[in-house]
Amino acid sequence: MAMTGVNVHGSYIYANPRHGLRAAGFAVLVIALAAAPLVAGDYQLHALIVSMTFLLPALGLNLILGYAGMLSFAQMAFFGIGAYSSALTAMRWGTPFWLNLVVGGLAAGIVAVPLGIPALRLRRYSFVMCTLGFAVIAQTIAKNWISVTRGDLGLSQVPRPRIALWNGGFEITSITSYYYLALVLSVLAVLAFLTLVSSAAGRYMIAIREDETLAASVGTPTWHYRMIAFALSAVFAGVGGSFYVHYFTVISPTVFDPFYANTVLVIVLGGGVGTVGGVVLGSFLFVAVSEALRIAPDLRMIAYGLLLIVIVFACPEGLLPLFIRKIRFGGGTHVP
Amino acid sequence: MSPDPLAALSIRGIEKRFGSIVAVAGVSVDIKLGEICGLTGPNGSGKSTLFDCCTGLQKPSTGRVYAQGLDITGWDMHRIVREARVIRSFQKAVVFRALSVEENLVLCGQMIAFQGMASTFGVGPASRHRVRRLREQAGHLLELVGLSHMRHATAGQISFGQQKLLQFASMLMPEPQVILLDEPMAGVNPILIDRMMENINRANQEQGITFVVVEHNLDAMKALCHRLLVLSRGELIADGTPDAVVRDPAVVEAYLAG
Amino acid sequence: MLTDAVVNGITAGSVYALVAVGMTIIFGVLRAINFAHGEFYMLGTFGAWWGIETLDLPYIVSIPLALIIVAAIALAVGVLVMKRLIDQPFQIGIVATLGVSLVLQNVIILIFGGAYKMFDGGWIEPVEILGISLSEQRILIVVAALVIFGLLELMVHRTRFGKTIRAVSQNIEACKVVGVNVPVVVIGTFVLGCTLAALSGVLTAPVTVSLYGGMGTSITVKTFAIIVMGGVGNVSGTLFAAWILGLMESFVASYLGLQFRDAVAFTALIVVLTLLPGGLFSKRERF
Repeated sequence: MAMTGVNVHGSYIYANPRHGLRAAGFAVLVIALAAAPLVAGDYQLHALIVSMTFLLPALGLNLILGYAGMLSFAQMAFFGIGAYSSALTAMRWGTPFWLNLVVGGLAAGIVAVPLGIPALRLRRYSFVMCTLGFAVIAQTIAKNWISVTRGDLGLSQVPRPRIALWNGGFEITSITSYYYLALVLSVLAVLAFLTLVSSAAGRYMIAIREDETLAASVGTPTWHYRMIAFALSAVFAGVGGSFYVHYFTVISPTVFDPFYANTVLVIVLGGGVGTVGGVVLGSFLFVAVSEALRIAPDLRMIAYGLLLIVIVFACPEGLLPLFIRKIRFGGGTHVP
Repeated sequence: MSPDPLAALSIRGIEKRFGSIVAVAGVSVDIKLGEICGLTGPNGSGKSTLFDCCTGLQKPSTGRVYAQGLDITGWDMHRIVREARVIRSFQKAVVFRALSVEENLVLCGQMIAFQGMASTFGVGPASRHRVRRLREQAGHLLELVGLSHMRHATAGQISFGQQKLLQFASMLMPEPQVILLDEPMAGVNPILIDRMMENINRANQEQGITFVVVEHNLDAMKALCHRLLVLSRGELIADGTPDAVVRDPAVVEAYLAG
Repeated sequence: MLTDAVVNGITAGSVYALVAVGMTIIFGVLRAINFAHGEFYMLGTFGAWWGIETLDLPYIVSIPLALIIVAAIALAVGVLVMKRLIDQPFQIGIVATLGVSLVLQNVIILIFGGAYKMFDGGWIEPVEILGISLSEQRILIVVAALVIFGLLELMVHRTRFGKTIRAVSQNIEACKVVGVNVPVVVIGTFVLGCTLAALSGVLTAPVTVSLYGGMGTSITVKTFAIIVMGGVGNVSGTLFAAWILGLMESFVASYLGLQFRDAVAFTALIVVLTLLPGGLFSKRERF
């Protein structure tokens, strides 16, 4: 499929189909990341793991904003729902890790449907605010449903992932094994995302983003596909939340704080909305780098804030096109 | 008056009010299968609103619309396209600007190639085969409308006239029975107008597609249409051959007064 | 308990009303939601606190000081950011003002630290009116809200600036054609709206006592709820919606528990959006 992107301005970037080049770039990146533990220390690996946990909700936001054209602030609500449901399942029934991931994703996706029914009737600001409301309400529930969530204390001692194998399997404990787990999960998520957006359904979502009425006039059941995009974006976030909780082994209502939601927004807009490469770039650039440099949260947020302002006015396609241009001019990998 | 089950569109007493304003004041008309029917009238005479009511963009206040006897009143737009095979164009929103010319056509053909919602998520060999077929069909249509050389161009970056040709080609992708065109020639240069008329005639003769065309360009309408309808203040004031209609004193008066 | 709940509700509602009316007039001229609006409320509070703590000023002097500081910051933001939002799609406004909010909030945290501060000022002596005991500051807040809403109504309908604001709200294109300097109107409205938010912060500080850098976020969020409930661009609707929200929050806090208070605004918002897309007090759907 042709790689298509839209930025928040409504102006468009478009690249001709270059499957080969993109697949090659993806492979090189994966190999480089797979080799990273050879050179990176534990803290750098930790930074990369954190950035990969943000990649999943960011892919979800990219689906709903970059492909279906709706700005949603509910991503971290679904991330939190995925995290809590996965942690509670694991703590109560000792379920295997892969099942927890499924539970986290499904729980978020299922909750998204009844929320989507009123929300998707709304347009523009009303939709944005309604999704912001979901995050506020999710946090209130997490703080106050003490018998289940333990309120502000949050859940701790969430089991670490167990990988079942023929010899009984093993528990993921070392930072390197967590890193590979995160990498596998990220690669699978990116592949799932690419598959989705290059399907006929993905084309319908782009049509809705471009012009909802025109999309309906060529036979797109717009409401259904908006709902599907909303629910699938929640599934991505929920799986991300599930991995997050089994990595940090703790979860508290602070996960619903605007800090995290803003980070996801910066990843998607800063990297390049409507592109997959942009979101991957955004996660590494804005999370891994700031985590690795141990930049204080307040400084990081000031940088994010300035970045958002600069991006919307100066480079609405995000930083990905700039990077691609750099590579072309510098490395001579230009393909006509 | 009962609907004509053989008519491409049977419009029965369609009325559309916005508060106290009456946009369409009870129009009844049959569009025969295989016809190219013009619809014209002064600005604000209710042409677009009538279109909207026939294609599900707006719900009529009263009255019913039938497509070959099938009551489609109040259906959603996508259902009318899919099930009644009645498709329409818009004046302003012409193409999906971020998609390539070819992808525009593939998108419009999807509703036939991918029937159930589940099938649209498929990426296996069957889906790839379907998309390949759609691309072949698209290539054929692009050749017909003379846009083959722009196959991979971004639709938003080709000229407006070319976008209108692309729009026309996309509407043929799902093999419709009826096409409603909202001002296909507005803002298009004379050479492309000729090409557009040629394409309409060809689709009508070779595929038997029924056309309803809203257009202000009376010369083009006279050359193109078998039949001309005139709306004024939401009412149908003339219905006949183009030559007869343009000489009708009621029509002349409506245009002068409007 | 009932009287307390009503008094608290009306006071909180008046505070919200002053913040929300600024947002609603900004939305009117710019068609953009100001995600940084709560930050100006926070800046007002911090301005006055700084005047009292660092410059040793009395509360009454720190009020105008805070307003001047905030107006200057708002002017800078207006010139640098808000002016560019004219004629931009709505997501641009959200993202840009969210950026402004992150910068303002975290610069304050960087300068003054993230810990809670105590606000030591204002008139908190209780007085007895009609058998109800309440602090002077609460009376001041309610009176100030009423006076300012009265002045705003007058301004919008009588003054030249007010008429220009209304004209730009209704048809920005026509205003450009007839030579209205739209950027000046936008910046002027933005400064006015932000200063009102700051005034609300300064007046509330003696009642809420504590202040911290992140306090603006929940105010922004509640303001959204109010302007939607009140009908966007509707000045008196904003006041009533703010009072209703204040009362609802106060009752929920008194009878269900304080922890549920912050979810009231959004529950109300979602219900209103679902049932009455035009808001409680407006038939015009402008969102």
